Amino acid sequence: MTGVYVLGVGMTRFGKHPDKDAADLGSAAFQEAVTDAGIEPRQIEAAYCGHVFQGMVTGQRILAQVGLAGLPLSNVENACSSGATAIREASLAIRAGEHDVVMAVGTEHLTTKFRGALTPDPSDPEAAVGATMPSVYAMRARRYMEEFGMTRRQLALVAVKNKRNAAANPLAHFRKEITVEDVLESRPIADPLRLHDCSPVTDGAAAVVLVSDRAVKKLGNGRAIRLAASTLFTGTVDVEPTTMTFEPLTHKTALAAYERAGIGPEDVDFAEVHDCFSIAEVLRVEGLGLFERGAYPGAVERGEADIGGRLPINPSGGLLGKGHPLGGTGVAQVVELVRQLRGEAGDRQIEGAKVGLAHCRGGKAVGIEGAACTVQVLVK
Amino acid sequence: MTTAQPETVPKSFRPVEFEVTAGGEGFLLGSRCSNCGAHFFPVRQACSGCLHADLETVRFSTTATLYTFSVVRQSTPDFAVPYALGYVDLPEGVRVMAQLTGRDPEDYQIGMEMELVVEPFGADEDGNEMTGYRFQPKEGSQ
Ligand SMILES: [Zn+2]
Repeated sequence: MTGVYVLGVGMTRFGKHPDKDAADLGSAAFQEAVTDAGIEPRQIEAAYCGHVFQGMVTGQRILAQVGLAGLPLSNVENACSSGATAIREASLAIRAGEHDVVMAVGTEHLTTKFRGALTPDPSDPEAAVGATMPSVYAMRARRYMEEFGMTRRQLALVAVKNKRNAAANPLAHFRKEITVEDVLESRPIADPLRLHDCSPVTDGAAAVVLVSDRAVKKLGNGRAIRLAASTLFTGTVDVEPTTMTFEPLTHKTALAAYERAGIGPEDVDFAEVHDCFSIAEVLRVEGLGLFERGAYPGAVERGEADIGGRLPINPSGGLLGKGHPLGGTGVAQVVELVRQLRGEAGDRQIEGAKVGLAHCRGGKAVGIEGAACTVQVLVK
Repeated sequence: MTTAQPETVPKSFRPVEFEVTAGGEGFLLGSRCSNCGAHFFPVRQACSGCLHADLETVRFSTTATLYTFSVVRQSTPDFAVPYALGYVDLPEGVRVMAQLTGRDPEDYQIGMEMELVVEPFGADEDGNEMTGYRFQPKEGSQ
């Protein structure tokens, strides 16, 4: 089976784009990724487009804009893992030998679709009793605080760290550093979570060009980064209640990725994880096996997850700081991994990084721990 | 489902998941696997434990333990804020999300013994009041 490489990456500024739509943003990211790969648009053989609320055939609208209508394209919806799932599908098409050069693009114009708290699908029994995404994570935060003694101040430090990283990222939604006090004084959303614990409603898009062994030899620009694993699982239905302070779904998806990549969690130099809420980052990194259960809040307090720390988490600013345009999110994580591994991350560069990991997790359905989870491992 | 119900029977806000009797009692409905005995909420077509497809719909116990909770301060237009929301664990081994009632939002505690109460819960398209479930701390609970 062929290996898969990321040859080119592109990403719009994340934030509010009132004068553009999802296809505009996706097209901009698409073209930047083609240019960055150093290839001609005609060399793209197929495309996958991740989005959630953008309506039918958003991917085809992107192809029409960039002059490539006619290519095989699949639109991919997997909630917040949609973009990451598009990358996985693209990598499978390459591994299967069907294509050598494939585009994965993720886009979302969320400011025109949502205000305030995201909710599960209205048909869901939990939505019917008033579940919002922040409230579900708030409940997990409260339970985690009870079990592991995490303080509200420690949790705030996750948001402080990610917004500090975002301030060093020219494409981030938020460019302003905040303090613990800013977090603790921000508007309450769902106790104990406050506004700064929540990722914002963001527009944006990102794209990556994936290529085979054969294509990387022919087209390689010396900057290709190997996609060593791209795994996907959906959550299972519990046959009895299980803990909400650890994520078996994240754990299982990560173990499969480590096995495929031939590494262990100790080999990961930095990670972009799905911090849709401050508490989510805690649950993710522990589920990934990057930190021991219950240990992450203290590690953040000691600066271990900072850029320059033992194991930087979300150097891009994460969803909390960079923003969370659902379909764009998973692709943008891989863009960050590539830029870090190439040494092109500017003021937020992690020195000497060789192995990066990206984790996405999306969707809520009653009785299921999490709907869709992806882990990607990139190796320099 | 075609038999006309007397007007006095309260209308459940989610009949598939919550049954309200003519006497005003309320029961969460779910599935019990006839092969391995596992319970599920809501009703499923097959057992996730043993994949047996012979499931019976059952009424769940009306007592529970509070696993965790939040006070929701921002929600959709369908729900007036603030409201307390929790996950409760039923004796059947099922965790259910429910709104909480009976205490000030700050006065709930993880581990509290809870019981189901039948309460007005929103309105249908014609503006008729519907009936739903909340959980409240049992008398004397902490
Ligand atoms: Zn069974």
